[in-house]
Amino acid sequence: MSIAPVALTCGDPAGIGPEIAARARAALGDEVPFFWIGDPRHLPDGTEAVEIAAPGQAAAALARGLPVLPHPFPRPAIPGTPDPQNAQGVIDVIARAVALAQDGAAGAICTAPIHKKALKDGAGFAYPGHTEYLAALAGVDRVVMMLACDALRVVPATIHIPLAEVPAALTPDLLEATLRITEAGLRRDFGLAAPRIAVAGLNPHAGEGGTMGHEEIRVIAPVLDRLRAEGMDLRGPLSADTLFHAGARATYDAAVCMYHDQALIPIKTIDFAGGVNVTLGLPFVRTSPDHGTAHDIAGKGLADPSSLIAALRMAARMAAARAGR
Amino acid sequence: MTPLKPRIAIVPGDPSGIGPELVVKLLHEEGVRDAADILLVGDAHVWRQGAGQAGLDLDLGPVELGEDQVGTHPGLGWLPLDTIAPQEVCIAQVTEAGGRSSLRCLDKALDLAMADKVDGILFGPFNKAALTAAGMDAEDEHRYMARYLGHEGYHGELNVLDELMTTRVTSHIGLRDVAGNITPEGVENAIGLAEDTLKRAGKTRPRIAVAALNPHAGDNGKFGREEIDILAPVIRSAQERQKDVTGPWPSDTVFLKAIRGEVDAVVTMYHDQGQIAIKLLGFERGVTVAGGLPVPVTTPAHGTAFDIAGQNIANVGATRQAFDLLVRMATTHRAQRAAA
Repeated sequence: MSIAPVALTCGDPAGIGPEIAARARAALGDEVPFFWIGDPRHLPDGTEAVEIAAPGQAAAALARGLPVLPHPFPRPAIPGTPDPQNAQGVIDVIARAVALAQDGAAGAICTAPIHKKALKDGAGFAYPGHTEYLAALAGVDRVVMMLACDALRVVPATIHIPLAEVPAALTPDLLEATLRITEAGLRRDFGLAAPRIAVAGLNPHAGEGGTMGHEEIRVIAPVLDRLRAEGMDLRGPLSADTLFHAGARATYDAAVCMYHDQALIPIKTIDFAGGVNVTLGLPFVRTSPDHGTAHDIAGKGLADPSSLIAALRMAARMAAARAGR
Repeated sequence: MTPLKPRIAIVPGDPSGIGPELVVKLLHEEGVRDAADILLVGDAHVWRQGAGQAGLDLDLGPVELGEDQVGTHPGLGWLPLDTIAPQEVCIAQVTEAGGRSSLRCLDKALDLAMADKVDGILFGPFNKAALTAAGMDAEDEHRYMARYLGHEGYHGELNVLDELMTTRVTSHIGLRDVAGNITPEGVENAIGLAEDTLKRAGKTRPRIAVAALNPHAGDNGKFGREEIDILAPVIRSAQERQKDVTGPWPSDTVFLKAIRGEVDAVVTMYHDQGQIAIKLLGFERGVTVAGGLPVPVTTPAHGTAFDIAGQNIANVGATRQAFDLLVRMATTHRAQRAAA
């Protein structure tokens, strides 16, 4: 039996989600088994769409066009202008994708960008973002964000907080949870039997023995020691500036970083377009392209589908790894 | 009028490391000896050691010069010093003698620069532990040089890789202390250092991007206010003075601007912000500029590499880039001095 297809959500219909879905199918052909959930009216004119009644029909439909599991919305989409009346539909499509993944009909989910303010204004969406909503649907407390491209996987332990607040946010509890979820994800979703994780220090030269900060000695190293005793392959805390050149990258499967830009500078510098956002710690595989709704260019045929293509490919590969193939 | 050829002093760095080997390799690189009048400053046996390690004859005909001939001699010259006995050189070891030799050669080159006999200095890698053992009375070689020269103005290290140059507002301090040290004056100084260095390197109107401190440049104050309260006003003020300074840019994509050739320098807020990008892009080609000093000084960014010292496998790439950048800076420096 083949792997269940990837469920791709429509995201904000007024953003670039629908058009990059159509272009991803055109570029991929039937290379990646996936289907799109949304309102067929929101796809660009001329899209070769094939309506399906269930995910199981996606693989056959891909040969003819974009497989669409229809989810009717109240209103058509106006590119660049989110319609409050469509907000609930965006939320429902995400829930539907999760339900399909939970019962095994979808092998993974890939989410197109949403516009949080539009969902809040139109449907009272109370979550800070996509990921928190997915975690709530799945009933998990803690997830980890990973950014991945062919050359590098990075996990920022802290994300959208001011740099000044990073040291206080880096608790042993957070680091331990981040490392555990990352390690489990590398095993289950990336097929690595013995994942090697490099851990960056917080300070320049990883603190250089405490002369430029003590977090390495007081917080990071004790957590690493404890988890190493359990058998995890952890290197560090390592000096962040020498962690990302090609020779260093060959020595680990993922780098856990202490703050947003410590992780994002290397991956964006290596691969600006191809970075894929992966959520680890959910009961299903979830990826998303590393960009937003791009309202300014929506509907103009300018949107670049390459990050979505990378996200679909990665979701399918991860689903296969999780299924043990 | 064609600018005068710059006169460049080269010191070997720590004789225990790969410096002497790299300098001899550099002298054999195409175009190097045409680009400048070069003066080797150091001990005869150290240079011969470098030639032996590089497997190249020092058949370069370096002309032994007396001090009074320095600065007047075209081509390749050599000012002999006696800073270390041959038996004191221990390859791949940290020694007080190696540190002392490093400093004495550097001192001489600085003296020559201040006497207007050379227009720039290139030094081979130093070993910090050896410098400290030899009694270097400063935190690093940049501060050492400033102190030796009696220079009290703003100075600091710049990191260069190909077309990407970075300066930093903060450097070797804990991340915890970074935000509190982002001050308008610090940002202005880091912008000024980039601007002055680029002008010396021949850019008449340097394009400078200022990196943000916080993720997504703070996202309009949601993840930090330093962009709004400190960086934006400094940038606006620079723009009002007709400088090509932009930002604050999110730091995860600002380096791509430099790679694409859209800017000449990136002003970074903390050590790893720029160093991650530079070391990722070209671990073997990076150059360090001792910026803000009265004389142009450059060096390869890598260290003494004791693990490969004496094996003739050291890559001359960074030294070549340090030389090429120094030639540009020293040419401007000489012309400015001549005009003054």
